[in-house]
Amino acid sequence: MKDKPALLKLASVSKAFGGVQALDDISFEFDAGLIMGLIGPNGAGKTTLFNVITGAYVPDSGAVSLDGIPIQGRRIQDIVHLGISRTFQNVELFESMSVIENIMVGRHVRTRSGFWSAITRVPAIRREEKALRERAQELLDFVGLADQADRRSGDLPFGWQRLLEIARALASDPKLLLLDEPAAGLNAVETGRLGELIGNIRDLGVTVMLVEHDMALTMSVCDQIIVLDQGCMLAEGLPREIQSNAAVMAAYLGNG
Amino acid sequence: MTPSLKKGVAYALACSAIAGIGLAATNPYHLQVMTFIGINSLLALGLNLLMGYAGQISLGHAAFYGIGAYTTAILTATYGLSPWLSLPMAVAAAALVAFLVGMPTLKLSGYYLGMGTLGFGMIAFIVFREWDGVTGGASGFVGIPPLAVGPLNLSSGRNYFYLVWGVLLVAILVCRRIIDSRTGRALRAIHDSENAARAVGVGTMHLKLQVFVFSAAVAALAGFLYAHYVSFISPGTFDFLMSVRMVTMVVIGGMASIWGAILGASLLTLLPEWLHAFSDLEMVVYGLIMMGVMIVMPQGLTRGILDLYERARERHER
Amino acid sequence: MEAFVQYLFSGLTNGAIYAVIAIGFSMLYSATELINFAHGEFVMLGALGLVTLWGGLHLPLPAAFALTVAGAALVGFLFERTAIRTVKKPHPIVLVIITVGASIFLRGGAMMIWGKDAHSVPPFSGHPPIDVAGAKLLPQSIWILVIAVVLAVGLFYFYRRTLTGKAMQATAINKWGAWLSGIPSERMVLLAFVMSTGLGATAGVIIAPITMCSYDMGTMLGLKGFCAAMLGGIGSLWGALAGGFTLGIVEALAVGYVSSAAKDAVAFILLLLILYIKPSGLFGTADASRF
Repeated sequence: MKDKPALLKLASVSKAFGGVQALDDISFEFDAGLIMGLIGPNGAGKTTLFNVITGAYVPDSGAVSLDGIPIQGRRIQDIVHLGISRTFQNVELFESMSVIENIMVGRHVRTRSGFWSAITRVPAIRREEKALRERAQELLDFVGLADQADRRSGDLPFGWQRLLEIARALASDPKLLLLDEPAAGLNAVETGRLGELIGNIRDLGVTVMLVEHDMALTMSVCDQIIVLDQGCMLAEGLPREIQSNAAVMAAYLGNG
Repeated sequence: MTPSLKKGVAYALACSAIAGIGLAATNPYHLQVMTFIGINSLLALGLNLLMGYAGQISLGHAAFYGIGAYTTAILTATYGLSPWLSLPMAVAAAALVAFLVGMPTLKLSGYYLGMGTLGFGMIAFIVFREWDGVTGGASGFVGIPPLAVGPLNLSSGRNYFYLVWGVLLVAILVCRRIIDSRTGRALRAIHDSENAARAVGVGTMHLKLQVFVFSAAVAALAGFLYAHYVSFISPGTFDFLMSVRMVTMVVIGGMASIWGAILGASLLTLLPEWLHAFSDLEMVVYGLIMMGVMIVMPQGLTRGILDLYERARERHER
Repeated sequence: MEAFVQYLFSGLTNGAIYAVIAIGFSMLYSATELINFAHGEFVMLGALGLVTLWGGLHLPLPAAFALTVAGAALVGFLFERTAIRTVKKPHPIVLVIITVGASIFLRGGAMMIWGKDAHSVPPFSGHPPIDVAGAKLLPQSIWILVIAVVLAVGLFYFYRRTLTGKAMQATAINKWGAWLSGIPSERMVLLAFVMSTGLGATAGVIIAPITMCSYDMGTMLGLKGFCAAMLGGIGSLWGALAGGFTLGIVEALAVGYVSSAAKDAVAFILLLLILYIKPSGLFGTADASRF
């Protein structure tokens, strides 16, 4: 039927730490162009799953593929190059560097200049540097931080740091963007704007997958939702299906 | 003024200051001290790239300084090679050793990295000291030929001063370019958050190794300049204390600042010269100053003095 | 065989010294996460203190021993109060430079007091060497071994049985938690400093009769004791003891069967090996990348 493979496909992925089964036989797949939600109670394995997809952890068993290319066990930089990027739960910026430099580092895998070309500054490298700076500025415009380019990123207010981290993750031209609790620590107004931004990111053609505790946000922006509980897949479906799913309610309310 | 223009102006000022000092200085002792400042600045500059920008400590960098010095000493004095041929070999030898040592060592971090580099530095020092037949052992290596370009003898005080500071200015330019490049940004990113750097696709291990090798090569270049200047080298110059002195130059000047590295190198070169007046008290005072600066200004002198200046200005404006 | 036993004796003797130095390192590290590069200078202070008090002033040996150790511990106390406590931003690199500065300061001070020449003291007891399987065992070696083992066992009981010892361990494991449960963690750090420097001086006192005592003797001993601590797993008492003896014996065998030039290199080669293979040390369990 389908001649194009799914954007992201997990087949029977498991991962244990010591005696704890953090992920147990997880399988799902989805196509490009969606906003996927990943929810579950604390300790459900959401962050572990992110770490497996981004290559920070190697799964004990199972397969992960992006556009049909297997990625499990590859180096993180190769996976970023193939088109997956992420943000962190507690915002990890390069704080001593300027806002625009953060984004320029984010584009590391799409640029080439090395040690020697940096020293010699051949014309090709100057051109690359110029194009890089322009692209970084575009991304700043996109997230609404255009006039902050030269500020030290650690000095930005927290909400802006989140936006910058998203812009940095977009700089590597990802096919799939993983957002780890992007609304944590944001106020209601900022969360509303974040929802819009996520929609805009999808409109750019980037598929988004987010872990989020803010249910209002998750339900309003996501096209599909996956629910994890204690390392297992609990449910998968449209937001309103999830909202009425008895097992999900039980897991969240703790009477399962 | 844009930042890059400011940097350009600072650089031009530094160039003319050096030319001026070279012309004005008539006292051979002053020229000699200035030459040593140049050599030490080169050491601090290379280590600063590793420590200040990439955030990786090395307590064994004197080894690369020594490898540069001993390689050129052996090749020129023992085997009669031209110094200009031994220069690339000395630098390559240090770079190769740095590559081999760096691969397992840079996997460590924090104190453990410090310890690993310390161990390597001590082993290198012991090799310089014990390999009598080749290095001259504890009594040192004599008869390293002076440098010359055709008829121009570089061994005179003023000429060598210009040579060393010329090399240093080129090295500053090179470091500047590296710091402002894709590689340099990635290095600074590793310093700020190695985790995030990895997540955006920076090959952290590869990059750390590159900068380790580069800083070793710069140290070897300094070793080459040192050996041909003093014509006699001994293991004591490349011991653990030298490694610590290099780290101190970087930290006291202020990490992640090129001019800070040069300020630190100048201070640590001048200090013993000034302290000679104290004779027996020299070490005591030296130790006290090291401790005092770090207690009062843990960010280094560059940052510390800027802070003082800003505080004074604020008070003034109020 | 004779030669082997002789090497073993020499290895055990040096090993005991390294062990005592390593325990000092380890104790301080576990309480403060600080590597004291001036630790070797306290060994030197111990040796030269004995030279003056016992060799020079002819105090009775136990009194000279105790006074020397107390004096060095007092220096350690002042060091912590003036140079460590006062640091505003205790970044590890800053602390490394401060302790190196202190080591230069102490060495310079010792040079002013004791001069540049080496001194020596007689063994603790005047007995002749004991003959074991054809090899000679010096009575001083027995003194050293006994004192090292007694110190280790004593410390073990201190940590296990006394309230202060337990409090110190609690501080080492979790400073904040210890503070919450009412343990004065600042005082524990100070105590760790005093005990650590006192141990260093003890190593100096017991090694004094079998070495040349001079103002610059401490650096290499300190670094080797440090290697021994890493070898056994820094922060662990038994690790430090085992690391010290391992280092001493391997070093003695290397000197005997390879070359005396290899002597100083052994410690650092072992250090690199352990860091590459098992950074937590032979007996340690701590996380390797902890800063």
